[in-house]
Amino acid sequence: MEQSVPELMARLDSLEASLSMATTINSEVFYWWCTALMLAIHAGFLAYEMGASRAKNALASGMKNLIAFAFLIPAFYYIGWWIYLAFPTGFTISDGSEAGLPWSANMGPNLTDNASGIFYAAFTLFAATTASIMSGSVIERIRISGFTILALFLGAVVWVFGASWGWHPDGWLTTEWGLHDVGAAGAVHTIAGFFTLGVLINLGPRIGRFNADGTVNNINGHNMPMSLIGLMLIVMGFFGFLGGCIIYTGDTWMTIYNTPATLSAFAFNTLMGVAGGMIGAYLVTRDPFWMMSGALIGVISSAPALDLYYPGLAFLVSFGGGCVMPKLNDILVEKFKIDDAVGAVAVHGFGGVWGLVMAGIFASGYQNVAGPEISFVGQLSSAVVFMILGFAPGYVLSLVLKLVGLLRVSEQAEVAGLDKAEVPVSAYPESTVPAAFANDPTSPTPAE
Amino acid sequence: MNSAPITSWEGAEAYFTFADKPALLVALTLVGVGVCIWTIASMAIHENKAYKDM
Repeated sequence: MEQSVPELMARLDSLEASLSMATTINSEVFYWWCTALMLAIHAGFLAYEMGASRAKNALASGMKNLIAFAFLIPAFYYIGWWIYLAFPTGFTISDGSEAGLPWSANMGPNLTDNASGIFYAAFTLFAATTASIMSGSVIERIRISGFTILALFLGAVVWVFGASWGWHPDGWLTTEWGLHDVGAAGAVHTIAGFFTLGVLINLGPRIGRFNADGTVNNINGHNMPMSLIGLMLIVMGFFGFLGGCIIYTGDTWMTIYNTPATLSAFAFNTLMGVAGGMIGAYLVTRDPFWMMSGALIGVISSAPALDLYYPGLAFLVSFGGGCVMPKLNDILVEKFKIDDAVGAVAVHGFGGVWGLVMAGIFASGYQNVAGPEISFVGQLSSAVVFMILGFAPGYVLSLVLKLVGLLRVSEQAEVAGLDKAEVPVSAYPESTVPAAFANDPTSPTPAE
Repeated sequence: MNSAPITSWEGAEAYFTFADKPALLVALTLVGVGVCIWTIASMAIHENKAYKDM
């Protein structure tokens, strides 16, 4: 069976085209399922925050999560994706960013563009995750309208600048300072955590959280098991999140900075990080809520160098994070009177800083494709940029909302419960749970 | 209403509805943004009323 050279060449061309298309489709399929898996993060936040609320506020807390998720999707379509493409060099608009404008030919069904939609989707879920980080901290006293404005600004604008600067192959934090943050500990978690801190300062504590002499009252949520399941769902969803942080090329995997990597590396270190954080948090608190928050701390602690760490080192880095962050949360509550209902400032804000700095200590010297090698100074300096980028807009915007009366619910509504005030349905219409909680001495209100 | 920007699938690129009418896409974007802002405003009005009624 002899074939002519032209016939063989035609077959070769056909095979190459098939291979190329298979690679493209594999890439689409991979990010499709990463995006789907990330939805578990939002199911998790929903359960976790409703459980962490008193029964009288359960649905209002959940409503926040649903609204943030729903509004973030169009907001990221309208402006977020363009910001990511436009500002890797700082505040000047980069060439080619027009592809991210909502009226671009790339921002809809296009037979020559298999990438834009799937990456927009993954980044939209990253954005919704960032906004949801703030959500739990402010439960039981924030107005849903004010929260929605804050969530949109955080998720569709603020963190996107951070991602463009430091979680982008051409981001200036990498090209100038050598930042390495493959799992977005800084771009997502530090920014969201410090944005939340700025909001909490203006929002103030829940009624009854602090006594006149400055001592602290615990305000227990009404369903700890639901919170624990929610936290486990968030951890599960982070496998989608972190999978979405690695670039599939067909031949190999690359980090978002174009350095070679393997998905195996992410698997090793994500799991070891989860375990380290859980064990560390257990050691210092004995509290299952903090143990599951420790799982998140563990992921975040190892996230910047998931591609580089020896797994045993990732375990210890995350163990350290799991030990330190609950104590930092205690300091925020007891010394600074910051009523962070779920500890998100410590878990995400300081957890992100911890991860970035640890990568500066233990992964320094690795080469970047663009920019200097990873260094302690570069990581620390970048962490400071993320802290400021998160805190300043969070503080200023929440101050403006406070001044116009859109930040906090009325005292009467807070005491009665936000579900009764704002939500047309009841969480537990046939249950005695709300009544039981009304008499819970650990949930003090002025009415008591 | 013929919303198709293509007359044949041969060589088609962006084929979504109104892909050949960028001004209309801008208008749809503005309407979408308006819907979001309007809903947030209605949210604030609902809250104000709810607190007043308590």
